Amino acid sequence: MFILHCLNFRNLHPIVEVKNLSKSFGSFQAVCDLSFAIEQGQVYGLLGQNGAGKSTTMRMMLGLIFPDKGSVHIKGKEFNSNNIQLLQHIGAIIEKPDMYLYLSGWENLKIFAALGKNKISKARLSEIFEQVGLSGREKDIVKAYSQGMKQRLGIAIAMVHDPELLILDEPTNGLDPQGIAEMRALIISLSKEHGKTVLISSHLLYEIEQMATHMVVLHKGKKIAGGRVDELMHPDETLVDIIIEPRVGNLISIESSSWGQRLVSASERALTFKLNREIVPELVKWLADEGVGILEVRSKHSLEAYFLSLTND
Amino acid sequence: MSRKTLWLVLLLLVVQAGLHAAEAEQLYYAIRSKVLSVKDYTADVKIKVDVAYMKVPLLKGILYFKAPDKMRLERDGGVSILPKKNVNLTLSNLIPTGNVTVIDAGTATEKGKTYRILKVIPEDDQNNIVLTKMWVDEANLLVMRTETTTHNDGTIVMTLEYAAYSKYALPDKVVIHMDLKDYKLPKGMTMDYEDSGKPEATEKMKGPQKGTIEIRYLNYTVNSGLSDAVFQKGN
Amino acid sequence: MTKLLQIELYKIFKKPRTYISFGIVAAIAFVIQLAMTAGGKEYLDFGLQGVSEQFDIQGKILNGYLVAYLILQSLLIHIPLLVALVAGDAIAGEANMGTLRLLLTQPISRTQVVLVKWLASIIYSIALIVWLAIVALFLSLLIFGRGDMINLKSDTFILILKDDVMWRYAGAFAFASLAMTTIVSLSILLSAFTDNGIGPIVATMGIVIVLTILSNLELPLFKMIRPYLFTTHMIGWKGFFDDPVPYRSIGKSAIALGVYTLGMLLATIAYFNKKDIRS
Repeated sequence: MFILHCLNFRNLHPIVEVKNLSKSFGSFQAVCDLSFAIEQGQVYGLLGQNGAGKSTTMRMMLGLIFPDKGSVHIKGKEFNSNNIQLLQHIGAIIEKPDMYLYLSGWENLKIFAALGKNKISKARLSEIFEQVGLSGREKDIVKAYSQGMKQRLGIAIAMVHDPELLILDEPTNGLDPQGIAEMRALIISLSKEHGKTVLISSHLLYEIEQMATHMVVLHKGKKIAGGRVDELMHPDETLVDIIIEPRVGNLISIESSSWGQRLVSASERALTFKLNREIVPELVKWLADEGVGILEVRSKHSLEAYFLSLTND
Repeated sequence: MSRKTLWLVLLLLVVQAGLHAAEAEQLYYAIRSKVLSVKDYTADVKIKVDVAYMKVPLLKGILYFKAPDKMRLERDGGVSILPKKNVNLTLSNLIPTGNVTVIDAGTATEKGKTYRILKVIPEDDQNNIVLTKMWVDEANLLVMRTETTTHNDGTIVMTLEYAAYSKYALPDKVVIHMDLKDYKLPKGMTMDYEDSGKPEATEKMKGPQKGTIEIRYLNYTVNSGLSDAVFQKGN
Repeated sequence: MTKLLQIELYKIFKKPRTYISFGIVAAIAFVIQLAMTAGGKEYLDFGLQGVSEQFDIQGKILNGYLVAYLILQSLLIHIPLLVALVAGDAIAGEANMGTLRLLLTQPISRTQVVLVKWLASIIYSIALIVWLAIVALFLSLLIFGRGDMINLKSDTFILILKDDVMWRYAGAFAFASLAMTTIVSLSILLSAFTDNGIGPIVATMGIVIVLTILSNLELPLFKMIRPYLFTTHMIGWKGFFDDPVPYRSIGKSAIALGVYTLGMLLATIAYFNKKDIRS
């Protein structure tokens, strides 16, 4: 039992625990009484609109910003300027990844590798470059990198000390669709194959839905929801976009019907309804009976619907 | 006293004066001859500059001289500071050459020693020297002090001390006394540093200034036949 | 700490901008050497006219030691700017680049970050002074040769024997290095306040220029505050070329600069440890 207890010790404390964090800048309350905990192995989503307090929260977790109130615990120990070495358990990208533009990718990674306690071999650095898909471009000056390449290099720098927790602020920002897919696959593999814990913020809710197991939703600095993604989402509610043929009178007949209550937005060519997934066929049939030419029906992401429902004033 | 006796006394006085004048002239020419017997010399020198507005360490060098007026101080690339060029350091240039009028100016006693004072006036109007007053050690035929008034260079006062080379009338130590003009540095040239020494220096500078240059001669090589080339060398 | 210092120095000396300073120092020295080659004699004749009225100054007056002194006189006004170019950029430049937040998420304390940037900037400024010694002194000696050195002060003419000069230059360069340490501390302090690399550089120069003017104005009010201005003490290196060398005065200046340096460094550390990094 004792041995089992010891084995489980590492799971006794969440890897990161945020307690009652608050921060204001002048009269602007950026974060208000925020608490959440990230357990080992989770992919944790931090959701919110621009200015909701996501970056500020991440910066407080990393010691870049000092909270007015509250605390951050890393592996059970309170994180402050006296035990900065706790940061060795964390790798992070905050906002866009910026590095030394006048140095090469290799030189940049080497510099950050040297800042840790453990010596990182050249082989390991090469391995990291390969993992993030920058093999062959290491020696190029970062100034010549595309945004996507810089993003990858940022991930490489975050990973260089093999941290247990990765904090990634909008990691797919500026990437093309292929890049986004590759980044998503990388993050998932970091979690599933390498056992990393990841805290990720993104505006691409579809991405969070694909990757996150847990999440916190911030709105104007306050936590308005938090928990398992699958538990938080209402599986029955969805947003449905219906692309129609433009016809005079379409809108009037729809708005005046019982379906009008479920109409979220409407234009000449597209209608958006918020309704139970199961009655979508019924809606489609009614529209067809009303003579509305239906070109396409597609369901909006459930998480987006959830997010919009939480944050719409 | 009778008239005859009075005339006799007067005659004796005139004769005595005449004899003194002749004696003074003789003394002068004897000294001049001794001084001019040195055609050239080379000497190790140590020069000490004592001027209110100058801070100069003891300068060591080699002084070359060739009669009548060639002189060069060699400091192995170092800087030499001497009174202005026209004011020559050598006694030979402060003792007028050519025909002169020598006046016996009596004697003076200093530190228990008695010196004859001679006033020498060159008869040549073109000579830079107007008048030289000399304090002479008659027994050794040595000039101990000169005050030379010149047309172009004001009055130069020089005191001399002798030891090993007195037979050549070459001094061991010469002190040149100068009246100093105000030191002026052109604007923009100053390399000033503000330190605590400044007020004292300014204090020292008030009023008419005097300065001295003291030259100690350590050893001489006399009449070695120095060539003119020695005085042509670049500094 | 050594590893961090190596990294900082690597970053400094990898930037092309760093070498501009070395180039400027060499260029200014070269220009003055050229000018002295062409018109040095006339310049000295003009400067020595006050003394030449009564004295015959002969010898190798225009020599490497004098030319080096003239170069130092002009350059030690400009060197603070060149030092600020690097030190002023130390923290603000990283903030501007966005790398500061990346650096501070590593397991190194903010105090260490400040200290290491301060030390690296000092090493850079010492390297600049050493370079100055090479181009101003050794190159001048090569071109103009050795000789006794003259120092023309507004009320004094000083002659320093050639064998007595070199140690004075060593003292002067050492003091200049200390003076630049103060500039480094000032630049880094200003650098901590902003996210813009240019601001601290301009501010450092502005402060140095204004305080230098105050240090030199002969007004009663400014005379009172003069001993408390670090710019007053920065020219202490000149004392090594005085006779006698005012060791007490130089020592006081060195202590004053040391106090300023330490004070500004501690202020930087205190402020930086409390600063929210929003860049």
